[in-house]
Amino acid sequence: MSDTDSNAGTGAPQAIMVIERTYPAGVEELWALWTTKAGFESWWGPEGFRVEVHTLDGRPGGVLEYDMIAEAPEAIAAMKTMGQPLSHGTRGTFAEFRPHERLRLVHVIDFIPGTEPYDSVIEVGFSTVGDRARMVVTLHPHIDPHWTRMSIEGFKSQLTKLDTRFGM
Amino acid sequence: MHLDTFETLADPTRRRIVDALRGGERQVNDIVLQAGIHQSGVSRHLRILHEAGFVSVRPEGQRRLYALRPEPFRQLETWLAGYRQLWEARLDRFGVALEQRRAKDATDEEPGS
Repeated sequence: MSDTDSNAGTGAPQAIMVIERTYPAGVEELWALWTTKAGFESWWGPEGFRVEVHTLDGRPGGVLEYDMIAEAPEAIAAMKTMGQPLSHGTRGTFAEFRPHERLRLVHVIDFIPGTEPYDSVIEVGFSTVGDRARMVVTLHPHIDPHWTRMSIEGFKSQLTKLDTRFGM
Repeated sequence: MHLDTFETLADPTRRRIVDALRGGERQVNDIVLQAGIHQSGVSRHLRILHEAGFVSVRPEGQRRLYALRPEPFRQLETWLAGYRQLWEARLDRFGVALEQRRAKDATDEEPGS
């Protein structure tokens, strides 16, 4: 966990987390997975959910709107248990949009009961290393107990799917 | 995990006090000097840190000695580890989607396919 003085005074309990990955592909292919409807829908969202993109306006300040839809039986059951709708509209903005270089995606999280709406920020840096593409994802997790519970549930279900995929 | 853990550390003054205690047990005066905060502020924030379980206090003669407790930091680590793994899994899916996309492109480009 990093100490984030930039958050000082906002009262928002936040941390910063950085995850780096390198893929045997070109940066433009990685970029497409973040910035095209088909690309974004192919991987985004927790396990057991699918995403349906309604608007993806790929430019600085452009809007990203999609529905996150519980699809797998266990995801549907989990959302029902938590008293959450099976589909919720999610809205974000491309605060930065520099093709094949840098992306800053800001989501408005306004669907957590009992929690004031807040921004969730994801920054992505793209670069080329030899014949591979490097991606550095910087996350600013907003921390509150409800979200934590949802994240952990999501995490558990994701691990289960990974285990299945790799035959573990 | 409860909200208090994170709210407690959201305050920059309390983070300075926690930093001052990283070197070991301290009495209030030492924390005041090290953190550069007025004593009344230090006392108030120490009380909050103590109530949230971040800090233990023990008397030694006339002095009261404050020290960090490991439990809330372990909770933070556990939470962050879970969050990280959530995203690691998400980027695994990103990698799978990327492979599928590349495979499809290669098939599309194959002559006569």
